[in-house]
Amino acid sequence: MRTNYLILLFVATLSFSAGAQKYITKTGYVKLFSAASLEKIEASNRQVNSVLDGATGDFVFKVLLKSFEFEKALMQEHFNENYVESDKFPNSVFIGKVTNIKDVNLMKDGVYDVVVDGKLTMHGVTNPVKTKGTFEVKQGKVLGKAKFTLTLADYKISIPGAVVNNISKTVDITVDVTLDKAN
Amino acid sequence: MKTWMKILLGLFVVGLIAGFLVYKFVYNKQHPDYENVAPSVTINAQDLYRAFKDNKDAASHLYNGKMIAITGKLGKIEAVDTLVTAVFVFNQGMFGDEGIRCTMLKKLNDAARKLQPDGEVRIKGYCTGYNETDVILEKCSIVNQ
Repeated sequence: MRTNYLILLFVATLSFSAGAQKYITKTGYVKLFSAASLEKIEASNRQVNSVLDGATGDFVFKVLLKSFEFEKALMQEHFNENYVESDKFPNSVFIGKVTNIKDVNLMKDGVYDVVVDGKLTMHGVTNPVKTKGTFEVKQGKVLGKAKFTLTLADYKISIPGAVVNNISKTVDITVDVTLDKAN
Repeated sequence: MKTWMKILLGLFVVGLIAGFLVYKFVYNKQHPDYENVAPSVTINAQDLYRAFKDNKDAASHLYNGKMIAITGKLGKIEAVDTLVTAVFVFNQGMFGDEGIRCTMLKKLNDAARKLQPDGEVRIKGYCTGYNETDVILEKCSIVNQ
């Protein structure tokens, strides 16, 4: 519930930033990948809401966890029921900032290195996340890409004892969003 | 063949069959054939959106993870790469149109592209929740009325 208030506060701040150019998408892409001895775990999600304030660098993305699609139906069930408990915690939210937004010329096509720093909430736990990525400015759009690694234990996601030695304790996250100028 | 050998052989065969069945129907079970899954809820599109907007937790409990058929006036069809989304619009927010977003099954993308905005349609899909702006239905198909 606290996370929802933070998002509302964030959105309100974005809405009232004088002259701020906002970039948004509702079809961002997030992939998770984990390689382990038992088998690799891979899932993708195309239902990612994301917004960037071009003036301040404020950046948020929100993911519906039930929208992660796995190749194996059983894996998808286990992910939702046993790991992220998506009935109880349906969303994962990142609220942060592109700390070097001043280095990005949103009016000029090109690829810019960015640093994103913020907090990720998942499974009811919030942790700081800092990662490097790129913004490609292309014909008025911003194509944002970043990769980072999460440790499951940091989010109180426990691995069942029977498979604890066969499942990786970390997950690689790939974020790929194409942000359009908001009207 | 001695009796104990027959028993051992029998147990081995039973174990083999059980292992195969567990692999096929549990470990390697297929995703549902979403187009042919009967909806467990049929509801007016605006009522579904309103339910989430008014009380997200209660609506999530009722609808998340279920195949839902909705009927309403289609707002628009969006296409990004191979992702075709039928959108029912009920509100305006900072993300623009807000309502229900129905991501179509890939094999039905062409049929979805032919849907007419402002026309009355019935679409069913697997509800994955509400993200503060939209209710999301996935693996959607058009239901013939």
